Amino acid sequence: MASLITCPHCGSRPKEEFSIRGDALPQRPAAHAPDEAWHAYVYLRDNVKGVIFEHWHHVGGCRRYLVVERDNVSHDVLSVTDAARFRRAAASGQDGVVAAGKDLA
Amino acid sequence: MSITYTHRHVLEDHITGFEARPNVNHLSVIRRPAMAVVLAHGGAESDVDLALDMIEGVSKRVCGPAEWLAVAQDRTPESLLRALTSIPGASVLDGSDGHVLMRIDGPHARKVLAKCVAVDLHPDVFPIDMSAPMLIAHVAGNLARTGENSFEIIVPRSFAGTVFEEMKEMGRDVALTAGFG
Ligand SMILES: [Zn+2]
Repeated sequence: MASLITCPHCGSRPKEEFSIRGDALPQRPAAHAPDEAWHAYVYLRDNVKGVIFEHWHHVGGCRRYLVVERDNVSHDVLSVTDAARFRRAAASGQDGVVAAGKDLA
Repeated sequence: MSITYTHRHVLEDHITGFEARPNVNHLSVIRRPAMAVVLAHGGAESDVDLALDMIEGVSKRVCGPAEWLAVAQDRTPESLLRALTSIPGASVLDGSDGHVLMRIDGPHARKVLAKCVAVDLHPDVFPIDMSAPMLIAHVAGNLARTGENSFEIIVPRSFAGTVFEEMKEMGRDVALTAGFG
């Protein structure tokens, strides 16, 4: 398990400061979407082997939600992005991924 | 009938008996600091950040993006709040009674803290005047370096007892003393 996460706000931190909140990629359906869409959003996950995107809540630090891109086979952390920034980038069609450590402003 | 309110520090029961004079490594609990949470409105982040540096006698502690703790040891909470609410684009909440401020000084301060936090405190990466939110003895608090061998710790009031006892325990091998000061 990745044990050091570079928070874009706090810097290098141990995983104990975070709470992992699950897959960051499912898109929330519209309020009146069919039950099947909501069921899929709430319960169905791919269980990928390899690169995954997860929400990590930095509870012991800045209390921001982050999107951590990591490889669950090699344990490499590929990028860490503030979730708001990730979502804005995704909405504008850009690659929402900011390389770890590059965005320490 | 008149009511007299008595101020009683939350760590009063933890600091009892006849404590010897402070050793070189000492943990001080600040009795009545003024502390306030400051949040910047969208777009005003850097202005509020700069304005906080301009207020005399107030130290700024980083809590996250667009969020700070303002700490003043020689002001009343009212005076601190007055100074902060004049900053345009800032929302301010008094946190003086909700937080406890402690200071650890001494040549082994960093050694003691190394057992309480999982963050590198080498002066190259955690220099004087830097502050950051982090787990301190498993409690989410804020640590600031105020001198080469001085650090200030802010933790929520309800966890202050745990953190205080844990710090004292971690400082036993360097004869850390503790008291109000
Ligand atoms: Zn953080």
